[in-house]
Amino acid sequence: MLYQIYATIIKELLLLWRDRAGMLVLFVMPAVLVVVMSLVQENILIIMGETSTKMLFVELDGDPLGRTIEEKLIESGSIEVVKEIDGRQITEKEALSAILNGNFQFCVIIPKGFSKAVKARTRQSVSRSLFNDSVTDEIETSIPDLVVYFDPAVRGGFRSSVLNALNQATLGMEIKEKMKMFSELVPKKINQSVKEMLSPFGAEDLAVDVAEMQFKWNEKRLLEISENPATSSIFEKTPSSVQQNVPAWALFGMFFIVVPMAGALIREKQDGTLSRLMTMPVSYLTLIFGKVLAYIFVCLSQFALILIIGRYVLPMLGTPMLEMGTNPVAIFIITLSAALAATGYGILLGTFSSSFEQASMFGPISIVIAAAIGGIMVPVYAMPKMMKALSMLSPLNWGHDAFLDIFIRGGDVRSIMPEAGSLFLLFLVMMLISWFFLFRKIRTG
Amino acid sequence: MEKALVCQNIVKTYRGSSEPSLDGLDLSIDEGMIFGLLGPNGAGKTTSISILSTLMKPDRGQIKIYGIDALKHPDQARRLIGLVPQDIALYPNLTVKENLRYFGRIHGLKGKKLNQGIQKSLDLVGLSDCPDRKINTYSGGMKRRANLAVGILHEPRLLFLDEPTVGIDTQSRNMILEKLVDLKNKGTTIIYTTHYMEEAQKLCAFIEIIDEGKMIAQGAPLDLINQSEEYSDLNDLFLSLTGKSLRD
Repeated sequence: MLYQIYATIIKELLLLWRDRAGMLVLFVMPAVLVVVMSLVQENILIIMGETSTKMLFVELDGDPLGRTIEEKLIESGSIEVVKEIDGRQITEKEALSAILNGNFQFCVIIPKGFSKAVKARTRQSVSRSLFNDSVTDEIETSIPDLVVYFDPAVRGGFRSSVLNALNQATLGMEIKEKMKMFSELVPKKINQSVKEMLSPFGAEDLAVDVAEMQFKWNEKRLLEISENPATSSIFEKTPSSVQQNVPAWALFGMFFIVVPMAGALIREKQDGTLSRLMTMPVSYLTLIFGKVLAYIFVCLSQFALILIIGRYVLPMLGTPMLEMGTNPVAIFIITLSAALAATGYGILLGTFSSSFEQASMFGPISIVIAAAIGGIMVPVYAMPKMMKALSMLSPLNWGHDAFLDIFIRGGDVRSIMPEAGSLFLLFLVMMLISWFFLFRKIRTG
Repeated sequence: MEKALVCQNIVKTYRGSSEPSLDGLDLSIDEGMIFGLLGPNGAGKTTSISILSTLMKPDRGQIKIYGIDALKHPDQARRLIGLVPQDIALYPNLTVKENLRYFGRIHGLKGKKLNQGIQKSLDLVGLSDCPDRKINTYSGGMKRRANLAVGILHEPRLLFLDEPTVGIDTQSRNMILEKLVDLKNKGTTIIYTTHYMEEAQKLCAFIEIIDEGKMIAQGAPLDLINQSEEYSDLNDLFLSLTGKSLRD
């Protein structure tokens, strides 16, 4: 029996090797899809603010206040400040052009005279509150606006969060400046008040030693909010475009194996090779098992290729490197389960299709639908309620969820067992249905 | 003489059909004989071959192949038989050698025995000078010969041939018939269906004509022809028994 399985595996691999179109579908299509979709979604994640964003920072002021805003933005953690392109300082015009070209999503312009104006206005504001009448005649200094340019494609939520980060930065700077001014003017005010109070007693020249005010307390926050992802292990990231797309499109490609697989079975039914084999001393199960093993080997090779692309090729194109968690056994189990489900579907499709045209139409369409409802193309969390419920029916969703579990949530063999078990059960059910109909049809006519 | 195949009262009705395709077929075939199973289209020839070669199960009846109950022990019976179906049941994208290797392995042939079997089959059907060409590059006659090569690779004691010469040129047809006689001379029992009456008359020691699933005549071709002066050959006999109306 093992020898016959071996013979069938060799024959299937040889046939597949000779089927250039089938090989293209199985290896090139998912490889191209994973590269294209990862790159496209990387840009979308940037636009949505799911990843660190590069912000152009044009400093026309030249005073330290601009630097304070820059530091506050960097502290926010989600913004990478870029001040130079090709090794030289950028101008406002160049920055605007870079935004319009889509190379950057944001640009902050610190206008000329900004620091001086802020300082003057702070002094005026604090003086007015302390020495009510002393500066009333002075004209209020106007502060030039901080200008922020946005890429029009940037979504509202992310735009608000960037503006919020900028507001926080300017507010922090404003409080710092006001406190500085307070610390400078409050002792003067106290001296002035004390002199005024004691002057009726002939003590106009009395010098009051008022301790200089400290304002560093302002830099230390009383309440800190700690933001942590709900993971069970060391991962502290949301899925990158690569982590989302590599397992997604690898699964998609894996299920596309149904086209050549069903095609091979249909040809065997049509040209009589299957009937001929059924008159030989070999069982139906041996023949099907050999076929399944050959295609599982192809699925695993296909998956390995996509992982290599995610790990080594995509980073060269500017995406993050594929992080796969710490449990290779769990990855193998879920990959094998998905491969079994895909091959089971191939056999089922080959059993019920009466022509290759039928299988090559129905197979891909059914996989695209399963991928769409299964969160391969659009993440499940972004779907409406009804579609979320429907997504639970897609085997591609089971596989993808298990991969995300391993890659992102630190999942292990135990945590992916429900998905792996479901895929394996699906394989068994499909094989049983195929066996019942195909075997019965051949043996009973 | 040992009986290569004995079947009794084989009945088969396909699902959805009210009439049986085979209705009480009886056969008794001696070892080393070329037996012709003849009949018009839809008479039940291919159904008979499918049932006798253990591909399909009959609704009723008994089949013994060299004494083995083929319905109870199909795996044992399958080790003794070879089938050359009407279709070119080969993998068109594999070479003839690769096809032979695969089917040989399925029969359990290994190593030297497998390689010798492949070479012998290729020699017998005259394809030993182009064993590495894919089947889909072969002519119709070459495909038929390759189809035969797979059927005889494991040296079966009983060989079923379902219209092995249909749609090929005279030279290929002649060669196949010569090789069948060679196989018969080496002891292989052959059960053979064909539409070509002159072929059956020349080749078969015994024939059975069936129509609508029932046997309508059986015997040695010459004995059957000599039953009446109206028949100059097997073709006359056949038309007389099955009628001249078209069968689809």
